[in-house]
Amino acid sequence: MRLTALLAMTAGATAKLPPGYRHGTHRPGSYADKLRNPPWLRRKRVILEPLSEEDWKVFKGDTVEILKGKDAGKQGLVSQVIRARHWILVKGLNVHYRCVGKTGNYPGIYVPSEAPLMLQQVTLIDPADRKPTEVEWRYTEEGERVRVSMRTGRIIPLPEFEHPDGIVPELWVDGPKDTSEDDAVAKTYKASLKTFEEEIMERMGIIETRRARKSFWY
Amino acid sequence: MGLLAALTRGLVRGADRMAEFTSKRGSRFHNPGRGCKRIGFLRKDRKFCLIQEMIPEFVVPDLTGFKLKPYVSYKAPEGEVAALTAKQLFMDIIAPQIEKDVKNGTFDPDNLEKYGFEPTQEGKLFQLFPKNYVR
Repeated sequence: MRLTALLAMTAGATAKLPPGYRHGTHRPGSYADKLRNPPWLRRKRVILEPLSEEDWKVFKGDTVEILKGKDAGKQGLVSQVIRARHWILVKGLNVHYRCVGKTGNYPGIYVPSEAPLMLQQVTLIDPADRKPTEVEWRYTEEGERVRVSMRTGRIIPLPEFEHPDGIVPELWVDGPKDTSEDDAVAKTYKASLKTFEEEIMERMGIIETRRARKSFWY
Repeated sequence: MGLLAALTRGLVRGADRMAEFTSKRGSRFHNPGRGCKRIGFLRKDRKFCLIQEMIPEFVVPDLTGFKLKPYVSYKAPEGEVAALTAKQLFMDIIAPQIEKDVKNGTFDPDNLEKYGFEPTQEGKLFQLFPKNYVR
């Protein structure tokens, strides 16, 4: 099998997306996404304003205020962020209704589904007075990078990072295949001038007197 | 649009020209292989000679009492370890030896081999430059 294919299989979660892939509201790799984006699909590229990864300010769990659209002026919690499209999904706001579960005589249930908002249509909120502000990345005296509200100068703390698996590190119990915290952090490296291969050979008592033939390449 | 309809829409216009032309397609004599490395050579009388040394062999030392396991606990803190540089290696191992010799007065600048200096890489199994080992 091709080595790249094998490595892609083992990578698993970080499977490479096809070039020119357009992110939608469905998770890449899910059935709905594969249905809408088959591997041969080539759609026109979405034009976005240039924004570097470091300047990104809105994270999942932040409270933001919507500036434009149906729910302008309302504040909500960010439930999902899709950086590739500069999208922010706010829980319960900017909803449209879709009918789900229509079969036979049963009319179905109307379910609210959030539409994504662009980064420009949303601002962060100053926690002191709960009003929308412009935010900048700055460094504290300790050297920590924080978001600072330009109007009041107050630091907006980063939201609590929730593991996508729902795991809480403090309550984690090590399994049989988990390296314990002490073993992972312990420094057991002994510096030596031998290469890794030479050390293994010495330890296992392998003696190799043959040498490779001299070859040249350009 | 259903899955079948989407598929047919893609196939009705023609074959996928960008697909890989593997040995599964083409005639039965088309046998290009799937990207394996060579482990021997073909002789003049069309006999394949296997070279045992070209087949990769994993040399694994005895792992009894080895504490590291496949996964790391979530409780372990994130951190960075400084990358090992040649200068760091020198300062850790060789500099103390040279310092000791200089203090004793036995330092000989012509005999640097005893500190591990290698004037050439000729004759070594694992040469550092040009690197002749995979890792």
